[in-house]
Amino acid sequence: MLQTEQEFIRILRSRLEGTLPEEELNDIVSDYAEHFRIGKADGRSEEELFCSLGSPDDVAREIRATHLVKKAEDVKSCKNIFHAMLATLGLGLFNLVFVLIPFILLVVLLLVVFLFGIVFAIAGPAAFIYSVLQILGIPAFAIWQSPVAGVFFSIGITTFGLLLVIGDYYLARFFYRIGIRYLKWNISVITGTEDEA
Amino acid sequence: MNIQFKKGVLEICVLSVLARKDCYGYELVGEISKRIDISEGTIYPLLHRLKDVGYVTTYLQESAGGPSRKYYRLTEAGRKEEHEQKEEWMRFAASVNALLEGKNDAAD
Repeated sequence: MLQTEQEFIRILRSRLEGTLPEEELNDIVSDYAEHFRIGKADGRSEEELFCSLGSPDDVAREIRATHLVKKAEDVKSCKNIFHAMLATLGLGLFNLVFVLIPFILLVVLLLVVFLFGIVFAIAGPAAFIYSVLQILGIPAFAIWQSPVAGVFFSIGITTFGLLLVIGDYYLARFFYRIGIRYLKWNISVITGTEDEA
Repeated sequence: MNIQFKKGVLEICVLSVLARKDCYGYELVGEISKRIDISEGTIYPLLHRLKDVGYVTTYLQESAGGPSRKYYRLTEAGRKEEHEQKEEWMRFAASVNALLEGKNDAAD
């Protein structure tokens, strides 16, 4: 690979185009262009400057991750946090362990709680109908001896199910906030290549 | 030295250099890499993050015989952050050094 200023900027641009707004991208590129300009005036070669800057791919990955985490913080959505997570994942191999696995576990936890909530919320009205059928003397499955208790029980589990769903929503928001903070911290500590320098 | 180590302390290093004087990017990178061996390219993304959270601002200034350069300056919030992080680091480093040197009197 050619280690020239042009190549550095070309790679940086190509990796960040489409993710960063044009204005922000130009701002970043101008920083590196200035770095090369002053460095050359300082008597260093483009190759030397290229080498000490490190791989433009790594630089781009870090900028991308930072940008996507910030975006996920500003506009909260499943899609944004997922993209932020993926971009951070790309920063280092061991982020498979420190980012991907916690992320999957949290998503599974949230889904399981949500499903339980839905099941309880649906089971409630079903139990209610059975109880009413029993009260009316229609021989449905006799789940409980006292149909009146069944009515109260069904109301209880519906409420419980709905509370689970609502609680899950707040839990998801909580994890989202913590997740953003963790990803930011992760980016500030983890670098792309672990074997360099 | 472990790269995570270096990257973790990069922020306080950058804040600290800027606390002494405003710098343009190349100058700042030079100050840091003079002492710490790190991929110089990662200092720019860090500067952008610091700018995003409001610890630094930038301004353009003409240079002698060349196009203007982008200078980075600590904001008031940045100065406060630098002070706090520095205190924290000093305490931490003193504790680690005491442990490494096997002093026993640090506990009392």
